[in-house]
Amino acid sequence: MPNFDVVVSSMASGFLLGGILALIALGLSISLGVMRLVNLAHGELLVCGAYLSYFLLSHAGIDPLVGLLLVGAIMAVIALPFQRLLIAPLAGKGMEAPMMTMFGVSIILQNLLLLAFSADTRAIEAPYAARPLSIGPITVSEIYVIGFVVSVLLVGCVHLLVTRTAFGRELRASSADATAAAVMGVDVKRVHALTFALGSACAAMGGVLIGTAFSFTPGTGATYLLISFAIVVLGGIGNIFGTLMAGIAMGLLQSLGAVVLGDGYRDLVGLVLFLLALALRPQGIAMSGGR
Amino acid sequence: MLTSQLSHPSHPEPLPSPLELANMSRFCAYLFLPACLLALAVIAPAMSDYALEIGFRLLLLITLAEAWNLLAGYGGLVSLGTASFVGIGAYALTGLVNQADVPFFLAIPAAGLAAALLALTVSRAVFRLRGLYFTVGTLALAEALRMFMVNYSGFGGASGLFLSVDPPGLLELFWTALAIFAVTSLAMTVATSSRFSILLRAVRDDEDAAAQIGVRPFRIKLIAFLVASFLMGMAGALQGLKVGAVEPYGMFGIQWTVNVLSIVIIGGQGLRAGPIVGALFVVLLSELLADYPALHLAITGVILIVVIRFAPKGLVGLFQRRPRAAGGVQ
Repeated sequence: MPNFDVVVSSMASGFLLGGILALIALGLSISLGVMRLVNLAHGELLVCGAYLSYFLLSHAGIDPLVGLLLVGAIMAVIALPFQRLLIAPLAGKGMEAPMMTMFGVSIILQNLLLLAFSADTRAIEAPYAARPLSIGPITVSEIYVIGFVVSVLLVGCVHLLVTRTAFGRELRASSADATAAAVMGVDVKRVHALTFALGSACAAMGGVLIGTAFSFTPGTGATYLLISFAIVVLGGIGNIFGTLMAGIAMGLLQSLGAVVLGDGYRDLVGLVLFLLALALRPQGIAMSGGR
Repeated sequence: MLTSQLSHPSHPEPLPSPLELANMSRFCAYLFLPACLLALAVIAPAMSDYALEIGFRLLLLITLAEAWNLLAGYGGLVSLGTASFVGIGAYALTGLVNQADVPFFLAIPAAGLAAALLALTVSRAVFRLRGLYFTVGTLALAEALRMFMVNYSGFGGASGLFLSVDPPGLLELFWTALAIFAVTSLAMTVATSSRFSILLRAVRDDEDAAAQIGVRPFRIKLIAFLVASFLMGMAGALQGLKVGAVEPYGMFGIQWTVNVLSIVIIGGQGLRAGPIVGALFVVLLSELLADYPALHLAITGVILIVVIRFAPKGLVGLFQRRPRAAGGVQ
């Protein structure tokens, strides 16, 4: 067993990383909750965000944190027409067709990224990426703290957007009952498009933070997609606070797995947890009011 | 007036009735297909290495696609975990041959059983909730197994294992692939023309209604899952045998899942001819783009999206539509 300081530090890292994971999972959660869309391209949207930030830094010198909202906005704007083109026409054809379409999108994005940028491992080289920060026995990278704070702020913003604004009211109405919402004058198509854009922005911004804290390749997305799913399952679909808690729990458990079993098992722990959650706690994922 | 004219054409074309069509497909299953397989087995020694290679790949992919079609097309269970069963099959074969000197013809079905065992183990988790969670659960299973194999050193870790005996020649492999394909066809014919197929489709179309009238959805889905996993495991074992080595990135790779899924969706879900037509299309495409693997996958993704949008029943469905619509008029 490694010494106490290492364990405490890596648990603290896990806790902080969990905040970032929650932001990523939130994007998946709102697509699923509002549009009933299983966005299998979520991981690739995340990787796109990371590449975008990488090139903003290397070509335009824009710091990843300064460019964070910019990356989110760019991905949201890119996502809007795609939703119109690919997902909207499949409305009313069940959940499988949009899901498989997003699987196709995921394959396309992953391989286009591979063609454009090769399989090289990259990381966004921000000055705070590897700088250590010590409080007592705990030592964590500065980016983890920054990532956690930024993520929790963004999750809070999404929470306010959903609960306090007119758009949020329409979003909640569409989520509860799309037909009834449409009858009451909500433009459900517009809500779905904006929801997809919001989900993509969450993924891309999470990707910026992940890309700064870790490294990434065009194939990184699948792991984060599945971990996000695990978090959504644990936290409950459309439950923003639950997602945050589940994200932090996932981060902690992953770090625990990495400490006990070795670093390679970090992501495996998340996936096994997901399968266990499916087997043992299905009520957390019950999709009421579907179809 | 127009509609009545359309629905009662003065000269209905002499199209085969549904009964005749069913008889024809039964004829295909019982006589035509075995005859074709036998002919292929006989002429195989005269085939060039390239033809054998392509034939082997086609048979392997059709086998996998048939199994996937049983799950997704007939059972509504869209799996993204094909790679896990292919991988387990390949690893099980390598283990059995290396550790216990099991002959190939026994090791292949045993590898299928290993895959079915895996399916049995995870069935509780992945069937707990409907449809989409099965899809995501199987994807998680495949990724988890791949990561485990990469990190755990017991099965050779990331570099994998070599088969300790020489793999059989291309001709024998082709014959084995033919045999496995024959078993698959037989299993699919039984599964799609028996009482079981009706139960399976009842569960696919409405699980609650099926349960109400006395069908046990869990049992029906489990049987389909076990049969499909068994077939996928055998196909994986055969691939392991051909390569002569197994490693996690190749055997548990997502490309198995993508290939098999696109074959069935492009060919036609829930249609007997779907996997065969789809496999021909996909193998042809991969031969044309053999030098550009990334581009090949990206193009497959585009084709997938287009087919889902404009031809939900795939290529076979496109060609079937007209006779079927006319048949409805009669």
